[in-house]
Amino acid sequence: MSLGPSSSAIHIQSSSSGDGSHNSSRAPTKITIHPVALFSILDHYLRRTDSQDRVIGTLLGTRTDTEIEVKSSFAVLHSETSEQVAVDMEYHRTMYELHHKVNPKEVIVGWYSTGSNLNTYSALIQNFYSQETAPHQAIHVAVNTGAEEGQEADVKAYARRVPSKLSHHPCSDNFSHSAPVGVFPKPENCIFVPVPVELRFHDAERSGLDLLATTATSSTSTTGQPIADLEILERSIHSVSDMLDRVLTYVRAVLTGEQKGDQAIGRYLMDTLGASTDDLEKGGFNASLQDTLMISYLANLVRSQAEVSARLALTAAS
Amino acid sequence: MAATSMAAALAASLPAAPVAPTTTVPTYEAIPASMAKVIDIEADIPLTCVQLDGLVVSKIIKHAREAPSTTAHGLLLGLDLDGILEVSNSFPLPHHGGDDDDKSAKSIARHQASMLRSLKEVQADDSVVGFYQATTLGAFFNQTLVDTQAIHQDKLRHGGIVIVHDLSQTARGNASFRAYRLTAAFMDAYRKSNFSTSSLINHRLTFSSILEEVPLKIRTNPLLSSFLGKLSASSVSKESEGTPESGESALGRSFSVLDLGSGGVTKNLEQMVEAVDNYRTEEGNLSYLARQIARERAKADNYIAKRKEENQARVAQGLAPLPEEDVSRLFKIPAEPSRLESLLLLGQIDAYGTSLGGAASTGLVKMYAAKAGSEA
Repeated sequence: MSLGPSSSAIHIQSSSSGDGSHNSSRAPTKITIHPVALFSILDHYLRRTDSQDRVIGTLLGTRTDTEIEVKSSFAVLHSETSEQVAVDMEYHRTMYELHHKVNPKEVIVGWYSTGSNLNTYSALIQNFYSQETAPHQAIHVAVNTGAEEGQEADVKAYARRVPSKLSHHPCSDNFSHSAPVGVFPKPENCIFVPVPVELRFHDAERSGLDLLATTATSSTSTTGQPIADLEILERSIHSVSDMLDRVLTYVRAVLTGEQKGDQAIGRYLMDTLGASTDDLEKGGFNASLQDTLMISYLANLVRSQAEVSARLALTAAS
Repeated sequence: MAATSMAAALAASLPAAPVAPTTTVPTYEAIPASMAKVIDIEADIPLTCVQLDGLVVSKIIKHAREAPSTTAHGLLLGLDLDGILEVSNSFPLPHHGGDDDDKSAKSIARHQASMLRSLKEVQADDSVVGFYQATTLGAFFNQTLVDTQAIHQDKLRHGGIVIVHDLSQTARGNASFRAYRLTAAFMDAYRKSNFSTSSLINHRLTFSSILEEVPLKIRTNPLLSSFLGKLSASSVSKESEGTPESGESALGRSFSVLDLGSGGVTKNLEQMVEAVDNYRTEEGNLSYLARQIARERAKADNYIAKRKEENQARVAQGLAPLPEEDVSRLFKIPAEPSRLESLLLLGQIDAYGTSLGGAASTGLVKMYAAKAGSEA
């Protein structure tokens, strides 16, 4: 899922880099973000001091030729005034080493800031991070927290065209728009090119996000733990049956002619609902029913044995 | 309720003067803000609940999934307020293969100190309130966990907590977090490092009374809530447009709970069998030691009885009795073995049993649901 509403701009970029694929092997065409990184950024934003307009930090992750996967992030100290910007490099290095020790696969891929305004300082910070990630490009992720009035929460990612790379390629004419801006190449002059960004997490982690999403929608923003397996199962079955109802109303509407049928939807329905259930019908159901009951029985037997054994240990004194 | 307990705590901890405002106005029980800062009242309020921040939830899940097997562990940071322990941040600790215990312990301590210092600089909470541990199939009972928690419980205010995250249950679609701490009875036995049978009886320890569970709540802060709301909203709008979503990126409902596959059950059974085997070995060791103790003791008793008989005979003959020698020097009676290991193994077996039972019961429901679906 792409994050944020500005997907139209993003698509333009990805197609243009597709045209020039013969010379942009190092430019990321897709950035994926793990929820942890996003949540850390939000937490950092919450904990900013009053004097800070925005917060910045380092993004860690892995990279392939065309794709960058942001897996985590940490906060970095910085200060911005109207005259200067300072990033605590010492702090950044220490934190990186600490993270690297725990998770050696994750390397620095770029930096984040909150708020979606790009300015001269962004270019300077980008310059600093490009040195950290050399020879690769650093990416920049701008997270708009939506905390200010009139702004929606969204996430944008940018890559900067590295001028030196372009000069090596004969076809760099295609990319004249991304050459350094200004008469002389200076670190504070550059173009941030939008790159499509997606939220990505492992399937096994989804239940955690589901949990957080339910928590977020509850009125007190809290939920109790642990939730019984059966409760979650019940919820899922309910939502499946809701979906079936929805499909049923749609199909009925098509049959009675109230609504024009969509062939694509019809094929999807055919594929999904026509799934073979032969296994279940040919006595497979009873067999696995017995297996499951057996397992349930065994589990309870073992548990009571363990309990008895623990109690016996208490009485076995002589 | 909270106010009265705070007032009571205050009254207990202070002699005269500061109590004055609460006594002169009996109906007014709140504590002036200025005084709350002076005294550490929080330490006296017992912990009733643990509140886990959304950030910590996702951090633990990520770390647990990426770390090899179930070695993921890390520290929890936060603060306690009014009996609720708010865990607001966490960081993973590096995993060391047990090559050099002393060295790795030192480097972990250094890692921890340096991380705490760094986090403080960006205004994050920097007080350690416990640690987290990943586990599979609920079997988190082991020596390391108990040892670490025992150290924490001695050092930290409120004793600290351990949060156990069950990987396999999360994969099954129910992200599970539980908070525990060691019971007073177990701590007492642990401090004396005495887990002989008699000590177990005195403390009434079974595997279920090693740890007590603390109620746990998950909380998302408003910013995170709104962001999550945004994420789920955008994915829902896409679904209704009818575009096929790739399974891994949408934040819509997940249906991994409905998976009929029973691969986890086989693994669960295997591990349960393994735990039972371990337990049998441990019991074998224990009974071997017990027999040895009995044998040595019988020998010693025999010796004493013989010596007494001899002495009586000598007294009867009018000779001076032989000195009663120190028996313990002659016969080495081995110390009674610790039953902690077998206790923990039993706990593991029980946990495997519980998760197997859970899997079976949900399996039944799913099977009937699938059958109903296929018949309809």
